[in-house]
Amino acid sequence: MTAPAVPLQAKDYKSDLKPIWCPGCGDFGVLQGLYRALAAIGRPPHEVAFISGIGCSSRIPGYTTAYGFNSVHGRSLPIAQGVKLANPELLVVVAGGDGDGFSIGGGHVAHAVRRNINITYIVMDNQVYGLTKGQLSPTSPKGLQTVTSPLGSLEEPVNPLLFLLAYGAGFVAQASPADMPGMSALIEEAIRYPGFSFVNIQSPCVTFGEDDQQLKVHKAKMKTLASLGHDPADQLRAMDLARAYGTELYTGVFYRNPNPPLPYEELIKLRIAEESKKARPRNRILDAYLQK
Amino acid sequence: MTTQKQTQGIDFATISMRDALDLAVLIEEEARDRYEELAAQLILHRTPGAAAFFTKMMRVEEVHRKQLFEQRTRNFGNQPSGVSREMIYDVEAPDYDEVRMNMTPRTALEVALRSEVKAHAFFVNALKHVASAEVKKLFEHLCEEEVEHQNLVKAELAKLEPDEPGSGDDFGDDPVAQ
Ligand SMILES: Cc1ncc(C[n+]2csc(CCOP(=O)(O)OP(=O)(O)O)c2C)c(N)n1
Ligand code: SF4
Ligand SMILES: [Mg+2]
Repeated sequence: MTAPAVPLQAKDYKSDLKPIWCPGCGDFGVLQGLYRALAAIGRPPHEVAFISGIGCSSRIPGYTTAYGFNSVHGRSLPIAQGVKLANPELLVVVAGGDGDGFSIGGGHVAHAVRRNINITYIVMDNQVYGLTKGQLSPTSPKGLQTVTSPLGSLEEPVNPLLFLLAYGAGFVAQASPADMPGMSALIEEAIRYPGFSFVNIQSPCVTFGEDDQQLKVHKAKMKTLASLGHDPADQLRAMDLARAYGTELYTGVFYRNPNPPLPYEELIKLRIAEESKKARPRNRILDAYLQK
Repeated sequence: MTTQKQTQGIDFATISMRDALDLAVLIEEEARDRYEELAAQLILHRTPGAAAFFTKMMRVEEVHRKQLFEQRTRNFGNQPSGVSREMIYDVEAPDYDEVRMNMTPRTALEVALRSEVKAHAFFVNALKHVASAEVKKLFEHLCEEEVEHQNLVKAELAKLEPDEPGSGDDFGDDPVAQ
């Protein structure tokens, strides 16, 4: 890690590529929040990697000066874990949509959580498949009419917050770009958490999203968990509050493990150190293959 | 109207004249950059009328920024600043969700008007806490300027014909499948 001589600014993480998102898209605010969080953390862009899948939100890596991989639909988490294990010094941020994360990629979430590699997963939850023009997503509310559910969806939505809490994630938060300072601070806190961390960002799709999920509605509706007196160390209360996903818009940290266990990459380092003590001298290496 | 906090880590009760000027410069810079971004988004999404207006606003904000920056340099040379861009959030810059593809020039002007009103409210609020007479004078002057800008935008709005019913409807269907 190198400490920059001049403090880094949000603009240092902004690439020259102009986002092609629809004007008004919530992802513009999320991107600003990410720049600000990274500036606050102060790691230079070459020490940061953004990994994403496919979707409008998954375009994020291209809009930063950090390393980036706009990879394969639903596969951002396994790729990010590989990147972090190959180079544990990198700060790895995974970013993508609700479809990418909870339908095609849903199977990876449990394993990323239980493996507990120190990466941050940011889902831009717009309750729809934006990129492919407005189909039902796993977080779409029941009854939603879309091109793939013209008579209204019959399915219950996935609750990303409960999903992550139930798998045992050590850091679970929710934010909205309707509150930029709050969202940037939460992203920063998630990145600083020493283990797998998750932030669900309600990032409206202005083109295919519902009117009641737009930022103007967020501004009127959102309540911080701090204002409810929630203690982020209280996992059961966090689960209870998370059940309001889809009806209330709570922002802040639902759960933060007060005693974070060592992340996987640290456990690996310890294992290597331990095993190397037991290593045979060079001239006895082949003994392992000899029958006694 | 925004409900979010617009600054972080700035204490208006103790802010120095130098930092107050720097803050004013940063506010104009943020607005300039946002108008530039919004214009680029609208050009990309085939909304040239609104984009042209935002480009004009970008130039206006740059003129204000320069004037304030010259005042700062005259009075304080290149002394280091106690405020940074990371401390401000959309003070005069329109929120990202204010724009839509196919928006009309009239709605673009309305966005600018709301932003000038927002900036005015910001300085009025800040003034409640300011102790320094010098900073007070500066903020009062900036308040007056914001009112002037509002009047200019209102005058431009008055020149425009009302939008045709249905114009500016968001028929956007832009993302490209991968
Ligand atoms: C293997 C595979 N299946 C399907 C697709 C088509 N596809 C691209 S993006 C996407 C869903 C995007 O939704 P989401 O992840 O919520 O992102 P958003 O666009 O809403 O930000 C789908 C189904 C694909 N690219 N690859
Ligand atoms: S389709 Fe929706 S999610 Fe995609 S860029 Fe447009 S507004 Fe954003
Ligand atoms: Mg989506």
